[in-house]
Amino acid sequence: MSVTHDVSVQVHRPASTVERPAARGWPDINNPAAWIVAAILLIMPLIANGFFLIEIFATTLILGTVALSLMFLAGYGGMVSLMQLSIAGFCAYMVAVFGVSGNANISLGWPWWLAVPMALTLAVMFGTLGGALAVRTEGIYTIMITLAIGAAFYYFTNQNWAIFNGHTGINNVSTPRFWGVDWRADIPFYYVVLATAGLCYFAVDYISRAPFGLALQGVRDNPRRMSALGFNVNAHRVAAYAVASFIAGLAGVLQVWNYRQISPGSVSVGACIDILIIAVVGGITRPVGPYIGALVFVLLRTFALDFLVKIGLDGNRFRLLIGLGFLAIVFWSSDGVIGLWQRWRQSQLGEANRQGGGRGHG
Amino acid sequence: MTRFIERHPAWALIVIIAVAVALWLIFAVWPPGLEEAVGRKRVFLNAVFNGITLGGLYFLVASGFTLIFGLMRNVNLAHGSLYLFGGYVGYAISASTGSWVLSFIVAFVLTALVGVLLQVLVFRRMEGQDLRQTMVTIGLSIVFADLMLWACGGDFYQIQTPNWLIGPIELPLLTAVKSSGEPVYLRYPLVRLVIFLASVAIGIAMWLALNRTRIGMIIRAGVDDRDILAATGVRIQVVFVLVFALGAGLAGIAGVVGGTFQSLSPGEDIRFLLASLVVVIVGGMGSIPGAALGALIIGLAEQLGSVYIPTYAIVVTFLIMVLVLALRPQGLLARR
Amino acid sequence: MDSVAQRLSAVGAGAALELRGVTRLFGALAALTDVTITVRPGERRAVLGSNGAGKTTLFNCITGDFPPTSGTIRFFGEDVTHFPPYERIRRGLRRTYQISALFPGLTVQDNVYLACRGVSRGRFSFLRPGPNDALMHAADNLVQAVHLTAVKDQRVAELAHGQQRQLEIALALAGAPRFVLFDEPAAGLSPTERAELIEILTSLPAHIGYIIIEHDMDVALRVVESVTMMHNGRIFKEGLPEEIQSDPEVQELYLGGGHE
Repeated sequence: MSVTHDVSVQVHRPASTVERPAARGWPDINNPAAWIVAAILLIMPLIANGFFLIEIFATTLILGTVALSLMFLAGYGGMVSLMQLSIAGFCAYMVAVFGVSGNANISLGWPWWLAVPMALTLAVMFGTLGGALAVRTEGIYTIMITLAIGAAFYYFTNQNWAIFNGHTGINNVSTPRFWGVDWRADIPFYYVVLATAGLCYFAVDYISRAPFGLALQGVRDNPRRMSALGFNVNAHRVAAYAVASFIAGLAGVLQVWNYRQISPGSVSVGACIDILIIAVVGGITRPVGPYIGALVFVLLRTFALDFLVKIGLDGNRFRLLIGLGFLAIVFWSSDGVIGLWQRWRQSQLGEANRQGGGRGHG
Repeated sequence: MTRFIERHPAWALIVIIAVAVALWLIFAVWPPGLEEAVGRKRVFLNAVFNGITLGGLYFLVASGFTLIFGLMRNVNLAHGSLYLFGGYVGYAISASTGSWVLSFIVAFVLTALVGVLLQVLVFRRMEGQDLRQTMVTIGLSIVFADLMLWACGGDFYQIQTPNWLIGPIELPLLTAVKSSGEPVYLRYPLVRLVIFLASVAIGIAMWLALNRTRIGMIIRAGVDDRDILAATGVRIQVVFVLVFALGAGLAGIAGVVGGTFQSLSPGEDIRFLLASLVVVIVGGMGSIPGAALGALIIGLAEQLGSVYIPTYAIVVTFLIMVLVLALRPQGLLARR
Repeated sequence: MDSVAQRLSAVGAGAALELRGVTRLFGALAALTDVTITVRPGERRAVLGSNGAGKTTLFNCITGDFPPTSGTIRFFGEDVTHFPPYERIRRGLRRTYQISALFPGLTVQDNVYLACRGVSRGRFSFLRPGPNDALMHAADNLVQAVHLTAVKDQRVAELAHGQQRQLEIALALAGAPRFVLFDEPAAGLSPTERAELIEILTSLPAHIGYIIIEHDMDVALRVVESVTMMHNGRIFKEGLPEEIQSDPEVQELYLGGGHE
């Protein structure tokens, strides 16, 4: 009860003036800034070199999609799940196990177009079962239970050699090649990632106004009343976990193709928490938030070392920076950097222009 | 107890049989067939004792966690950091003064102080917003972890066991009977037993304090119904600070214990946070007896699991949590 | 004892709502003790009683928010005692809450749309409603019926108290209700809003029966045909409004002194 209440009351308010105009239409369709961002993302390979394209932007989009699945659960459903990265990681493992990899004793050698659907199906089952456990209790307990599930998965991958190959993980995972294209080459891979992330983003945005998404928001605001309106609240919650697992699973497929390997380090407890940080820093009321958070996170992770050394600190203090930044956001903005930005816009535009204020993200 | 038996006769029977079997396994001389099937009795007894003593350690960590959660609805995900902090403090004290006992006192006081500061400076400002508090504890755990890594590095530390506790002690438990008919008794490290007895003593003291003192009554009333606290006119903030100090201090003590039993290194904070989570989920949120039962179950499951099914030890612990969530989502000993 | 329902019911139709020996314990405290009530279809009844008489607990047992400790509940002949709330709602039972239980993060229109969706198919639909969506029109009509058309795109958190109370009623009338439980719908309303409320209640189609908890006797007795009086978790008296009003015991207990 209390979590759902928290999310709706303190987190949702800043968005009040924002959501309404787009009520039934496609998101931000009349918004020039959104078009500009979309255009830049599409012509990115012309602007950025391979390092930026993959290490910054593709990584941002992949992490952002995992965080999007958390945003979907937390922002619309009021369920803060810390196991989203574990689901993505599980899916990544399954792609490696069913597909082709350097660990021939483990991998079954299926072609990617069989291995991926199989992995996604299993990931959705994993996430749905975890969700079914988590919805047995309410509110803040969700965090504890999903964190425990995520941690159990991490320790299990470390201990299990038959499927997960212990702490070395599975290496040299092969990536798809067809129609004469190596889809893991920088530019094709960037477009694969962009298309997947875009699809997930629009799907989440679309569902948020469909009966399922509206009902989910109703469950977040007042589960008891939802039950008194004829909704099976727990079934809705579990279904939300299934949807979120599918999104996280897609990100997991991209992740394993990106690094061509998967090991317990990718599903560690710290990494699970990073996803929460990304979503919260970006803002969990709208689907764009996780991507903004992911960009901030990836930029920090990549450049913090240089930056810290420049201001005379030890370059290894990246996590300290992340932690402090996260604390600052939680303290001062209930809606991540979007919230901060909106407040700033509103103070600039004044009351008169409130209706249009703050919709300038792609 | 009698009510439980009346209401769930089948469960009561299962529990009684399980306890009887466990007692027989511990006290009887194993017949040769059994030894062939599952291994030496000494191995089993060692695992049981390791499990119970590990349970004592888990109880120390989890009881503070559950108390803070029960009263303030604050899921303190920085609890593991307090554990590790207490351990490092204990190490520093025992290394510099050579006094093991003093390291407990200082660790308790310093971690309790950190707890007080957290409650006064941070959590008091966001009372009732449990999600936000939890987020803050996540941020704090990251910051603390990195600060401790900065200060102490990635090395392993082990706190020196004092001389008077070094060495095994012979327990009046038969592990085997030699062919000459001479009985063989279990030898077990004294320090672990002493620490276990101390955690039992702490647990009983907490239980007494909660059930027999005025402040304890207030805290228990607050756990059951937080509105009551405001109505009684108690200075609620003082109670909160006290409970946070106690919970944090217990984590600090546990850190010294853990540093003596095992070792201290980055990552132990997360390990013990998770242990507390699982213990509290199994035992029941906000319940001290629940934390004790949960700690015992998880400690035993972990140790027995690592002896008999080493690849799946973590799965056993996790399955216990899943089972409890599926059958009794509020935890074994929670009131609701 | 002859129940009012039996006396009022000329036809031998089955009861809309039938409670037998319903008891609800909270720990050692009995909030309801052996409550037996029969209400026929289309009947409109008030439940009176002081605070703590068990009125809201009665509603919670009927809707399944808290299951009864013992006893049976039948809704149009079907035993619903062990049904979850949503199954009862889907069978035509509705309720309002004493303290508005709405969805503050959603608009008025979305609140009502959810209520319509909850009792129809497609609760899990991933498709947005189109321009000719039947439920959207149903929601529009309901919003209009409770005079909220002007604010239908506002978020519920921004509504005034009276408007929230009206929305509360709209949510309970979505779909095809057969029986509605109103929990103090007039609480905190202005005299004008009360008049509107009475108009809404009296203009409900005749086949929709309801039970209303109401402290305001003026409102209560104008919109009901029978009255159940509760005291300390038990049924104290049942009768026609005028019988109850003139009953000396009731007057002493409730109408005379001590009610707020």
